[in-house]
Amino acid sequence: MVSNLLLQVKGLRKYYRVTAGLMSRTRGEIRAVDGVSLAIKRGEVLGLVGESGCGKSTLGKIILRLEEPTAGEINFNGIDVINLKGRDLREMRGKMQIVFQDPDSSLDPRMTVGGSIEEALVVHGISDSAELEERVARLMEKVGLEAGFRERYPHEFSGGQKQRIGIARALAMDPQLIIADEPVSALDVSVQAQVLNLMMDIRDRDGLAYLFVSHDLSVVRYLSDRVAVMYLGKIVELADKEEFFRAPLHPYTEALLSAIASLRPDGRNRILLTGDVPSPLNPPSGCRFHTRCHRMMPVCQQIEPQLTESAPGHYISCHLYA
Amino acid sequence: MKSVYGNYAKVKSETVLEVINLKTWFFTRRGTVKAVNGVDFALKSGECLCLVGESGCGKSVTALSILRLFDSPPGRIVQGEVIYKGTDLTKCPMPYLRKIRGKDIAMVFQNAQSSLNPVFTIGDQIAEQVMVHERISRSEALDRARMLMEEMNIPQPGRALKMYPHQMSGGMKQRAMIAMGLSCNPAILIADEPTTSVDVTIRAQIIYILQELKNGRDMSVIFITHDLSLVKEIGDRAAVVYGGKIVEVAPVEHILKNPSHPYTVGLIDCLPDISAQNKRLPSIPGNTPNPLDMPPGCPFHPRCPKVMDICRVVEPATVNITDVHAVSCHLFVNMDGGSGNG
Amino acid sequence: MTDIKQVCCGRPAVDKRLLHYYWERLSKNRMSIAGLGFIVFLSLVGIFGPIFIPDPQKTDFEIKNMPPIGFSIDESVYDIKTGEFTTTVILGRPDHPLGTDSKGRDMLAMLISGARISLLVGLLATGIAIFLGTFIGVLSAYSGGWVDNALMRFTDIMMTFPFFLLLVMIVFIFGPSLAIIVLVIGLTGWTGAARLIRSETLSIRTRDFITASRALGASDARIMFNHLIPNVSSLVIVMATLSIPGVIMAEAALSFIGLGDPMSTSWGTVLNTGQHSLDTAWWVAVEPGIALFFTVLSFNFFGDGLRDAFDPKASI
Repeated sequence: MVSNLLLQVKGLRKYYRVTAGLMSRTRGEIRAVDGVSLAIKRGEVLGLVGESGCGKSTLGKIILRLEEPTAGEINFNGIDVINLKGRDLREMRGKMQIVFQDPDSSLDPRMTVGGSIEEALVVHGISDSAELEERVARLMEKVGLEAGFRERYPHEFSGGQKQRIGIARALAMDPQLIIADEPVSALDVSVQAQVLNLMMDIRDRDGLAYLFVSHDLSVVRYLSDRVAVMYLGKIVELADKEEFFRAPLHPYTEALLSAIASLRPDGRNRILLTGDVPSPLNPPSGCRFHTRCHRMMPVCQQIEPQLTESAPGHYISCHLYA
Repeated sequence: MKSVYGNYAKVKSETVLEVINLKTWFFTRRGTVKAVNGVDFALKSGECLCLVGESGCGKSVTALSILRLFDSPPGRIVQGEVIYKGTDLTKCPMPYLRKIRGKDIAMVFQNAQSSLNPVFTIGDQIAEQVMVHERISRSEALDRARMLMEEMNIPQPGRALKMYPHQMSGGMKQRAMIAMGLSCNPAILIADEPTTSVDVTIRAQIIYILQELKNGRDMSVIFITHDLSLVKEIGDRAAVVYGGKIVEVAPVEHILKNPSHPYTVGLIDCLPDISAQNKRLPSIPGNTPNPLDMPPGCPFHPRCPKVMDICRVVEPATVNITDVHAVSCHLFVNMDGGSGNG
Repeated sequence: MTDIKQVCCGRPAVDKRLLHYYWERLSKNRMSIAGLGFIVFLSLVGIFGPIFIPDPQKTDFEIKNMPPIGFSIDESVYDIKTGEFTTTVILGRPDHPLGTDSKGRDMLAMLISGARISLLVGLLATGIAIFLGTFIGVLSAYSGGWVDNALMRFTDIMMTFPFFLLLVMIVFIFGPSLAIIVLVIGLTGWTGAARLIRSETLSIRTRDFITASRALGASDARIMFNHLIPNVSSLVIVMATLSIPGVIMAEAALSFIGLGDPMSTSWGTVLNTGQHSLDTAWWVAVEPGIALFFTVLSFNFFGDGLRDAFDPKASI
């Protein structure tokens, strides 16, 4: 029986060594991702929210093996991804894809858009030009672009169209999971809606799963089935969407939601965090959020909370709910 | 019972800045970029007017035009007036304009990283701004800088004054920029997307500060943004900008409850938070117009779901559908409730 | 390094649409087009000219020191018999339109064959330098780590190399020749290109489309040849175009001070012979000087125009 679980990540860590000086002495470690575990089911959209420096983009890249993790496990369709090599790795790459934030740098300016879209097919061994042309045409139509535009260059398209081309490229090998790293943040509002609709359509039609990384909570609310929040390299809360937006538990989540008036849960006041995000080189002791937490307790300064399931499907990493 | 005008009722009716038919064009080798193409609005004393629009609509250039801060050449104000205290700022001599800049009308930019001088401390930069306009000593200027930092909720303000921009976080830099803008107690503060490049929680802090400022100081604000949720939080009136023109202007509650221009309707509909969820998001087909190649007639007509033949040819006049709500659209031409100007 | 065949298939080397786009941008810059025009003219002269001219080395002392057509010069001759100076006015003649030098060699012929030499030296030496620079720059940037470090330190050392001293030594040992000049300039002039190309490659490497290719499973070779090099190519072309005048001037300068081949008719060599007769036959120095001036100017204008045309941020 095929498991419903598409992606499973356990204890993933990524530490960057900071070096200084002529002999590159190690000055410290940036713990960009520090023990993240999550799972994505087939066809589900997991929203991943967090502010700059929380590690959400790095997490996406590690899952795709675009960067090597320092520790942890990644299982895709039951296969261990971390130790894949060569052809197996390439095959996996067809099944897990990425869509980037910046439409201007995500396409090779010297390549026709048709060339960019078909690259995946070429890399995976398809060389018959008729077949390539047909498949590229189908992919372009799938994202709402005229197939005749394949000979054009990226600079001839608008931002929204370039994002569609990026999506077409990601779909070339029929992936099962797409990691969307802020795919609409750089687009105008009216165009955002177009691209979001497209992503929803593709999800409904092809049963794709998404890891939707974003800082924009209203977009995440629209698109996701479940939502996870990251802070300084750790997941602090993970819940089904309804529950997440209706009754968030973690103080950081509360602050995030209260920052946007329309998302503030009913009956709650606005919460203003003091101070700025601490440097990832020097994270606070105990619970990383304690320096800005409006509900801090003494234990929070000393002991780091673990991610526990406080209600079915609702995970939280906070001493208030331990 | 809340008045139908909401926050707007608290705004005094005296006009502090008037922009009349402003046109700022950029004459480049590729053609003429009609960035601002006929913008009219009046800023009332104590109000926060939001200029809302997407990229390329001309809202930033409008703000720059008020103080003539755009590159000239290639830009030029080809038509229109900006009346402040009886003087037309588009035509006044430079020395007068420089006196106004920073002192009467101050501007806060989007990207604090590039707006702050990296080789001077924050304290020095704020003090310099004050000393240019007022005859006070350096230590008095630094005192005022310190008070401003406190007002901005910056922790340890004395220490912060001695910091260089690269030592500060993004949120702190943004607040330092706002402090600079306020340093000479301007009558008008123009804020160009001050929260776009900062994180959500920092954004909340900045919005809170701006709200406190609005209530505390006797200051009018022109707030430029593309984010309608911000408009709701901080604006008294909103002017929707498209294709270099203002297509709709009204108190914020009015515009959100009763949007009239098809573009405003579309913009509100396609927001994920205000519309219903899990259904297909309505969107506006097509793309924002290329300012090098503006369509004739109404700039929105190629994308408008209610386009009529006249829209393709004739620019719509501005019509008052109530005495506080004006729209520039052919659909409303016969609905002139107040004194229309067209 | 896997499948080179797979790597390079399916893409035309030069795409017509892209060329058309860049040409349109370039053609808006009039100085640039003027420069290009002169370069084309010079190339035609250099390639086909020498076929039509008489042997530039042919000396004829009867007609030495003749001015160009339309000019005249006074010549004083001491007559032993009469013990007096007689001054005659010598006029330019149509069969030597640019005059002759002190050995009676036709200036026009020398300039035309000099054009061929300048172009050859310019193209060959630049070709060697740019090829080396690109190879080292791209390899260094793409490999990273110790390879990058080693190559860059090597580049630093080569940069400080006294190429002039090397040239003098080689000329002393082997005698002067154009080939030596080309080789020395080419083998020592690649360092600037290497650094620039390396830093450009580094910045392209971090862009999303490279990550996207890796995410698709593209091999390193594929990324290097299909993505990195095409995106660096515009920088390479601009650098090459802007290096050529420097190389031409370097060769002229070396010939001028006598390190070039004295039997060649390079513009620098002609300048060298002309410097001694500035008062009696000024055209021998001025004509190659003018030729050099326009050549260098044209390449610079054209190169600048190319750089603007290729730069996506320049609004043209």
